[in-house]
Amino acid sequence: MQFVAGKIVRNEGHGEIFYRLEVAIPEPVEFTPGQFAMVSGWPGNDPLLPRPLAIFRAGAAPKGKGTAEFVYKVVGRGTALLSGMHPGERLSLTLPLGRGFDLGRDGRLYWLVGGGVGFSSVFPAAAALAGRRTEFEMFLGSRTREHLPPKEWTPGGSAPGRVHLCTEDGTAGYFGRVTEVVKERLAGLSAADVSRLMILSCGPREMLKEIAFAAAERGAEMQAALENHMACGFGVCWGCVVALRDGEKVAYRRVCKEGPVFDAREVVW
Amino acid sequence: MVKPDLSVSLGSLRLKNPVMSASGTFGYGLEFAPFYDISRLGAVVVKGLSLAPTPGNPPGRIVETASGMLNAIGLQNIGVERFMADVAPQLEGAGAVFAANIYGRTAEEYEAVAERLSGLSSLAAIEVNASCPNVKEGGMAFGAAPEGIQRLTERVRKATDKPVWVKLSPNVSDIASVAAAAEASGADAVSLINTIVGMAVDHRTRRPKLSNTTGGLSGPAIKPVALRMVWEVCRRVKIPVIGIGGIQTAADALEFLLVGAAAVQVGTANFRNPRACVEILEGIEAFLREERLSGIAEYRGGLLL
Ligand SMILES: Cc1cc2nc3c(=O)[nH]c(=O)nc-3n(C[C@H](O)[C@H](O)[C@H](O)COP(=O)(O)OP(=O)(O)OC[C@H]3O[C@@H](n4cnc5c(N)ncnc54)[C@H](O)[C@@H]3O)c2cc1C
Ligand SMILES: Cc1cc2nc3c(=O)[nH]c(=O)nc-3n(C[C@H](O)[C@H](O)[C@H](O)COP(=O)(O)O)c2cc1C
Ligand code: FES
Repeated sequence: MQFVAGKIVRNEGHGEIFYRLEVAIPEPVEFTPGQFAMVSGWPGNDPLLPRPLAIFRAGAAPKGKGTAEFVYKVVGRGTALLSGMHPGERLSLTLPLGRGFDLGRDGRLYWLVGGGVGFSSVFPAAAALAGRRTEFEMFLGSRTREHLPPKEWTPGGSAPGRVHLCTEDGTAGYFGRVTEVVKERLAGLSAADVSRLMILSCGPREMLKEIAFAAAERGAEMQAALENHMACGFGVCWGCVVALRDGEKVAYRRVCKEGPVFDAREVVW
Repeated sequence: MVKPDLSVSLGSLRLKNPVMSASGTFGYGLEFAPFYDISRLGAVVVKGLSLAPTPGNPPGRIVETASGMLNAIGLQNIGVERFMADVAPQLEGAGAVFAANIYGRTAEEYEAVAERLSGLSSLAAIEVNASCPNVKEGGMAFGAAPEGIQRLTERVRKATDKPVWVKLSPNVSDIASVAAAAEASGADAVSLINTIVGMAVDHRTRRPKLSNTTGGLSGPAIKPVALRMVWEVCRRVKIPVIGIGGIQTAADALEFLLVGAAAVQVGTANFRNPRACVEILEGIEAFLREERLSGIAEYRGGLLL
């Protein structure tokens, strides 16, 4: 974990709603898919707090420097101000933060489920799995065609049967919600496959909840990347907690520290 | 040019500089070790400790507001025993000067925590949170009136030989009288301000944004209120005053010193900039050099009226 001064390399709109941000940082960072950064740098105190963004990619740049990439959707004042910033301008980043996906052992069957901009933490997981030639399928859902990630961002290529697109208005892929597709596939899976299955998911809480219930019903494992409002992002304010099961009791755990990725069975949905 | 003297005295306690972290915004201190050497700070003030571990309030604990934030954490903490066993030795190992912020549901609980902490030889001071607005039974009952503060301060004073700092709530009509009561009851210093009670609601869902309905406002939005209160209290009491509220830059910190604060604490600024405390410290030193001042003492309380 480090706090660094970064410089925007690019910050461009893609399609209707996504921005892709690349920031040059003093040295390369390693990250686990699902980990995030706290980003700030717009002028003034409103918004005051940095914004959490999943690390989409990170790598080396010439002269021993590093680069970090993000994908974001403009939803409010902070992301709107961010989208107005230009290459060369400075951002402050604290990264990498939190506990990412456990990509565990080989021999498992992975389903990666991303709803909305949730693909920003699912794609890095896909890239890591593709890199070690592990089997996976990806389910991506959005309201409409324009809100799906551009094809060329898809890691590991779009081999047939690997990427399932779903839109709520039927403008691309399956006509309906991604949860329906995942639930249907789950129902049809053999017991042997269910025991090999690991679902990794990120998206709106309602989506995660529905899939978590369906997975629990079949006894499949699932890791869910949760979101919450954050002030610090590195575990010192205790503002970002969610309720988790702790034996018979409920305990409050920090999304930024013990999460954002949690075992879906432990989450009190 | 000689290095300006950054050291300050808080009663019998001498700190190497006036910059401290504010309780609840700095975890237990060690979380900041990746960002800088925490022994550089005047003191680290840790998250409020209670007798037993406290789970805190349900989610929906923070809301951002214009140039500030509301929090209703509900004082989630690991409890005094675990702090002493697990955290204090590490703070000591890091070479940090540290103070413990404490709270209780009753005066007896405050007393018990203070007594327990007294055995910790490396502990520099005990800061009594007489003002948390987010716990129903919490300090507010004590912090609201001079009589309550007097009772609480006397009891904690008797329970420990450590320097006692009483942290004051701004949610009162006359903060100088409350500070005077703390002074009269044996406080070594007062620290102010804690957060200002506020509220945020969602006009569409028609619900409060915090699970606790109300919360404490912090950040740059509260600085003018904090500065006024620190100034008022400095004119009223002789014990040292620790200035807190919306400090983000060295200039902000210097303003508090100018109206008479002996030291400052930096809170919410740590969230956006984890290096805020050291950057403020470096900025104060640079300012003293630039102004060719011999040290903090030459500048402090020098407001021209
Ligand atoms: C670990 C983590 C990783 C994230 N990764 C990404 C990412 O890769 N790409 C991306 O586009 N977004 C991501 N987000 C969400 C992103 O942080 C928020 O969209 C952003 O903070 C909104 O800021 P704003 O000022 O634009 O909107 P605001 O004006 O603050 O809020 C706009 C609306 O969004 C809601 N909202 C804002 N922040 C959150 C939050 N953290 N959780 C739930 N609701 C929220 C608000 O309640 C409000 O209704 C992530 C969040 C977390 C916690
Ligand atoms: C998230 C959060 C938690 C806090 N917890 C405590 C606490 O446990 N005890 C306490 O005395 N003050 C607590 N405070 C108050 C701060 O120490 C400080 O008095 C206040 O935030 C004003 O300073 P600032 O504007 O620099 O943040 C907390 C503040 C915040 C934002
Ligand atoms: S955001 Fe501060 S503890 Fe998680």
